[in-house]
Amino acid sequence: MRYDSVTDVIGDTPLVRIDAAVHGLRNIDLYAKMELFNPFGSVKDRAAWNMSRRRLTGAAERGETVVELSSGNTAKALAVIAGMHGLPFRSVTNRMRVPEIKDLLLLLGAQIDELPGRSECLDPDDTDDPLTRMYHAVSADGAGYLHTDQYFNDLNVEAHVRGTGPEIIADLGGRAPDYFIACVGTAGSSSGVARVLRERDPGVTVVGLVAEKSDFIPGIRDIDEVHEVGLFDPGVYDAIEAVSSDEAIDGLLTLVRRCGTLAGPTGGGAYQGAVRYLRGVDAELTERRTAVFIVCDRVESYMSYLRERRPTLFQQPARANSVRHLTGEDLAGARSIGVAEARDWIVTDHPLVVDLRSPFAYRALHIDRSINIVDDRFGEMLHDGLPFSRRQPVLLVCPVGEKSARYAALLTRMGHPDARSLAGGVIAWRDAGAELVRD
Amino acid sequence: MVLFLRPRVDGDLGSLLDDPAWLHRVVDALGSPVNVVLPDQLARNVSRFRDVYRTHHLTGGIYFAHKANRSPALIRALAATDAGIDVASLGELQHALGAGFGPGRIMATGPKSREYLWLAARTGVIVNADSIGELAETAALVTAYGLPKIRVMARLSGFATSGTNVMSRASRFGIPADGTAALWDTLEKHRDQLDFHGVAYHLDTVGLPEKAAALEGCLHAMDEAVQRGLTPRAIDVGGGFGINYLDDEKQWEAWTTEQTAAVLGRRAPLTWNGHGYGLRNEGGTVRGALSVYPAHRPVAGPDYLDRLLATASATHRRPLGTLVLDSLYDLHTEPGRALLDQCGAVLLRVEEVRDDGRGETLVRVAGNGTDLGLEQHGVLMDPLLISRGEPRPDGPAGVYLTGNLCLEADLVTRRKVFLPRLPRAGDLLVFANTAAYLMDFSAGQALMQPTARTIAAYRTGDDWQWCLDERYWPVTGREENNG
Repeated sequence: MRYDSVTDVIGDTPLVRIDAAVHGLRNIDLYAKMELFNPFGSVKDRAAWNMSRRRLTGAAERGETVVELSSGNTAKALAVIAGMHGLPFRSVTNRMRVPEIKDLLLLLGAQIDELPGRSECLDPDDTDDPLTRMYHAVSADGAGYLHTDQYFNDLNVEAHVRGTGPEIIADLGGRAPDYFIACVGTAGSSSGVARVLRERDPGVTVVGLVAEKSDFIPGIRDIDEVHEVGLFDPGVYDAIEAVSSDEAIDGLLTLVRRCGTLAGPTGGGAYQGAVRYLRGVDAELTERRTAVFIVCDRVESYMSYLRERRPTLFQQPARANSVRHLTGEDLAGARSIGVAEARDWIVTDHPLVVDLRSPFAYRALHIDRSINIVDDRFGEMLHDGLPFSRRQPVLLVCPVGEKSARYAALLTRMGHPDARSLAGGVIAWRDAGAELVRD
Repeated sequence: MVLFLRPRVDGDLGSLLDDPAWLHRVVDALGSPVNVVLPDQLARNVSRFRDVYRTHHLTGGIYFAHKANRSPALIRALAATDAGIDVASLGELQHALGAGFGPGRIMATGPKSREYLWLAARTGVIVNADSIGELAETAALVTAYGLPKIRVMARLSGFATSGTNVMSRASRFGIPADGTAALWDTLEKHRDQLDFHGVAYHLDTVGLPEKAAALEGCLHAMDEAVQRGLTPRAIDVGGGFGINYLDDEKQWEAWTTEQTAAVLGRRAPLTWNGHGYGLRNEGGTVRGALSVYPAHRPVAGPDYLDRLLATASATHRRPLGTLVLDSLYDLHTEPGRALLDQCGAVLLRVEEVRDDGRGETLVRVAGNGTDLGLEQHGVLMDPLLISRGEPRPDGPAGVYLTGNLCLEADLVTRRKVFLPRLPRAGDLLVFANTAAYLMDFSAGQALMQPTARTIAAYRTGDDWQWCLDERYWPVTGREENNG
């Protein structure tokens, strides 16, 4: 297949049946609309392109910056599109909560503006939030912004009215599915697809999924936040149900491990929410039905999100020579010496003085002739064995003598005969009036 | 639908409020409203902050932000601990000195009058300066009056971030962090008058990323100062650690959801005259932001400090607390609200309960909106209902709490408050956990209505004793003398 531009690749995603052995529904064929196949990786490619395409001509000459309130896939797609057309892209967000997306946006050259948090000492007369203020600034005519305004822009919905919806009908042989389940973020895909399906068959049941409050699933809004979305119309949905991040991850694991579909948490939430809803109707059915849910994006961007919520998924074998596995006996065997003794020892035996503090602090002040290996890095080095000769005495120092004692214990356990820790650390050294130098 | 916002009440405050007879006796004696403060709880809160310091191996001062409550009992009890105090006016400085704080434990912050600055310099407290001009003025005072060299800190603001651009609310206070060259010049020039102690920030936000950016900015400023040959010792990270006011997150979530629905007209209003608390309805879409204190905060107080210190620096990829420790700096904090968690309550007597003729129940109390700054500070929580005699048998009731001022707008809170049952005249409504800002920050004498008496409550064994706020000292003179 040959294309003139990568943007021509957006859309026409496959519809893939989920094995009944996986979802366990007896009377329903469940299909995944594979939006993760879009070129920039998500369903938002469609909206981003549709909202911006007609306004790109001449935008570079006018010196415009593409701007969107997004911390996720829309920002990603717009950053790519802006870059292709020689425009800067600015993403405004309450918080970048997914570090991989943040890094990717920075890689793409985006500027990310994080809005300030809530005031601790409240000014109740200040009813305009920073978001509203920002909104006014970027929406003004001649402000130099190409503001795509995904939460209010009908072109977001239109992308799905022209694309996603008709594709589903075509792939189902000209029929609308009986059930359509989608997560609600901007409400663009759910309302756009719902509109097309209902035109074909008014009997379609549309289920909108939102996040549980104070929970977080990337790309989904919670039940209060959806009301801040201009495109959200509760009338579109036959039911609005909440899914938890736990359910979203369960769904993700099912899709990833059993369905060959490398879906992110939003897709996982859609799958889990869909199966949960359909299980309720499946028991009552006497004839076959079809259901479609959307797999929004791919799993790779959410490793930190998953690691934070399910650390057990990333269990790694314990590494050798770690301070984490010291016994009480090891620690008791470590030798600590006070400032006076250390000063004498430095003069008589010339131990290697290793300062475990950050390079930043070391640079400001340190014990003369000490070398600086920050504790994390020192730990990494020790995993692989002793980094210096057993005949070389070592004095470890840290701020208060706590970490240095642990590393002295570890060195001793690894067979070093004379590793000592400076009791009380550099603070005790300083307070005793011993010399600290800057180079 | 009943929407409770049950306050979180722990420990001593819980045990005190569990004694209806005691509470009624106090209000009978002193009239309504009565403020109760618990000095011993403040000392326990200090040690919880100290525990966080210990976990991170950090030393430095915990300076209570005086402005959060002006009770002498609290300030005197604090003087008996190892905490310091952050004063922000001449009056507060005098109060702190008189309560037993030596100048070494006092930090003078805020906008400074010449008299305030003079007393600060004369007594030798740390002057935390908002501007370079203030430093020069302090140095001039020291010279003019032949005073000893004075310890100063410089408050910075407008910190740069790396990676993303973390925007901060603009502050009226502080020296721009990207324009420190002039600061170092001033400090060098006045070396003989000013002993540069370190840099400070104070951000009015609950947002951790902004605070992390500021702390990192301070570390860099300290490094600059060291390179200029100055010898700073401490970083002051200010306050804003917060209180978790509510017991149950679900109740907070339910109320905020219903408030959104009410603003959209999908349910009956939950507030007086449909007040939106910052939210508004624009064509069926909610705009604005809920402009209230986040009453349920899972991470607040000492836990918030712990979280901040554990946050990794974006440039050094190392926890900020570890970087402070590595650099051998002291860490100063200025908690106000957080140190007053569970340190007091406001008692109000119910004067009248009536129907307003439009389907709402009004409960008028002997006190008003200035006695209790719930609206001013945006704190939403329920009072406890302490019945006098046999409680009414009926179930929960949603009411509006009106005050004793002859003003349409005088409500204790604009939120419809759900009580476990309808109160009767003579019952008490007790707003628990109100020692921070809510108790006496805004109390006034409008209409010549009496302001609250404040009493200090303390335990002797299982019994609760009280004395007038201004008569409280950490020693009573009545202790058993075993010597």
